[in-house]
Amino acid sequence: MRRPLYLIQEAFVNIRINRTSVMIGIITTAFTISCFGLFALLYGNLKNLAGTLQQDIEVLVYVQPEASDKIVEGIRQRLEGEKAVNVLSFVSKAEALKEFHQQFPDESTLLQGMEENPLPASFVVQISPQFQESDSIEAFAERIKQFPGVEQVRYSQDWIDTLALLVSYFEFGAIVIGLILAVATITIIANTVRLSFYLRKEEIEILRLIGATGSFIATPYVIEGALLGACGGALALVLLKGVFEFFLLEINASGWFSGLESVLIFFPFQTSLFLVLSGMLLGCGSSIISVFGLMRVRNEAT
Amino acid sequence: MIQLFHVSKFFERCTALHDVTVRIEKGECVLLTGPSGAGKTTLLKLIFGAEIPDEGQILVQNRNIARLREADIPYLRRTMGFVLQNFKLLPKKTVFDNVALPLIIQGVSRADSKRKVGEALKAVGMNHKHTSQTGVMSAGEQQRVCIARAIVNNPIILLADEPTGNLDTVLTSEIVELFKTIHARGTTVLLATHNQSVVEEMNGRVLHLQAGRMVSDKGPAA
Repeated sequence: MRRPLYLIQEAFVNIRINRTSVMIGIITTAFTISCFGLFALLYGNLKNLAGTLQQDIEVLVYVQPEASDKIVEGIRQRLEGEKAVNVLSFVSKAEALKEFHQQFPDESTLLQGMEENPLPASFVVQISPQFQESDSIEAFAERIKQFPGVEQVRYSQDWIDTLALLVSYFEFGAIVIGLILAVATITIIANTVRLSFYLRKEEIEILRLIGATGSFIATPYVIEGALLGACGGALALVLLKGVFEFFLLEINASGWFSGLESVLIFFPFQTSLFLVLSGMLLGCGSSIISVFGLMRVRNEAT
Repeated sequence: MIQLFHVSKFFERCTALHDVTVRIEKGECVLLTGPSGAGKTTLLKLIFGAEIPDEGQILVQNRNIARLREADIPYLRRTMGFVLQNFKLLPKKTVFDNVALPLIIQGVSRADSKRKVGEALKAVGMNHKHTSQTGVMSAGEQQRVCIARAIVNNPIILLADEPTGNLDTVLTSEIVELFKTIHARGTTVLLATHNQSVVEEMNGRVLHLQAGRMVSDKGPAA
């Protein structure tokens, strides 16, 4: 029990001796992890947004103006028989006109000169969750286009697909940037730990002289690196939370993208923990790379 | 205990040791003498595995130093004690912490450590200063602490490289007395010095080195 305690104490001694470099190391590590975290946050939210939009996807089935009630009823019955249909509602020509006036009160005058209501009746189809894949929706739309009395089928899949593509680009970008920043973090922590090592070179020589093994000498530096990485990760988390909250406030204040704030999410607890643990693991790895290369016992001791 | 067979060591353009053959038995007190640059420190470094001989073989406790894996060297060193001219103590740590260090490395329990450190400090007359920081101590006191650290784990061999190099005559005599006491307990002592008074007071076997060669090997005076 005494030996582990000694090694932990020595790690804190290293941090105290080398505190300026350690602080710089923590801050730079925090910034590099923040950059990755920002990308991951953006990616997570875009993915979440894409998922939400996909869930709310609606297919609008416009009925031909001359279609009789019988044909309209026929369309309804066939749609109700479709497995892809989750919720089905009908918007008559009169309801469509009413909605138009409600949604575009300033443009109401556009329809004043017309004798007949030009807006078509339509069915609004909410798609069942198991049919929300792009291919399924497309196949469904193609099928109902063939129904007698159907004028046009519209759905907002195109830009949802674009969003999905964007998410996949972000996924790739997050991996690439994550790798680049991991290398940067390893370099920063490795140099900080190496500096600690050189500052205590004489002590290390003494330890070697009296029979300390390489792992005994290296362990405090590995602990130092792990603490540095974990602190960097935690600080990055705080920074990201600050930026996220600031962004939400800005959205609310500006009034743009209203409703977006309810969709945006910060990292869940597990991801936050993962971020801190990643910093810790990077710190451990950096220290091991940095210190074990200096562990030669021959030609070093006095 | 320690055997050197035709050992040579070269550093770039100079020969530190040339064809040295010597056998040191268990419990012997051996004084390694010679002027600066004669090869005394190199010989000690070879014995504790900090250097590898370029020629010849070294056996320490029947282990061939040249063939010893790096990972095994710390375990060899744990059977030895070291006393150096510049003490090599941790200045910001207390006397107790410095002396206890070899025991912490070996994973000795706190209670055993306390007992062994107490005994070692008592042997060198420093038990009253166990809470003092070594950085503020006199040279004589630091050397005593260094000796306590060297003997705390009851080493089989005690190696000392110019242990009185930084001390005045009075302190030198006190340190020599300590070495004699340690030797009297049965520890093999190998002490490198160019101080003739130390050689005379220790009254051990004297190996004289000159320009890397062993030029004489004399037993203790009767």
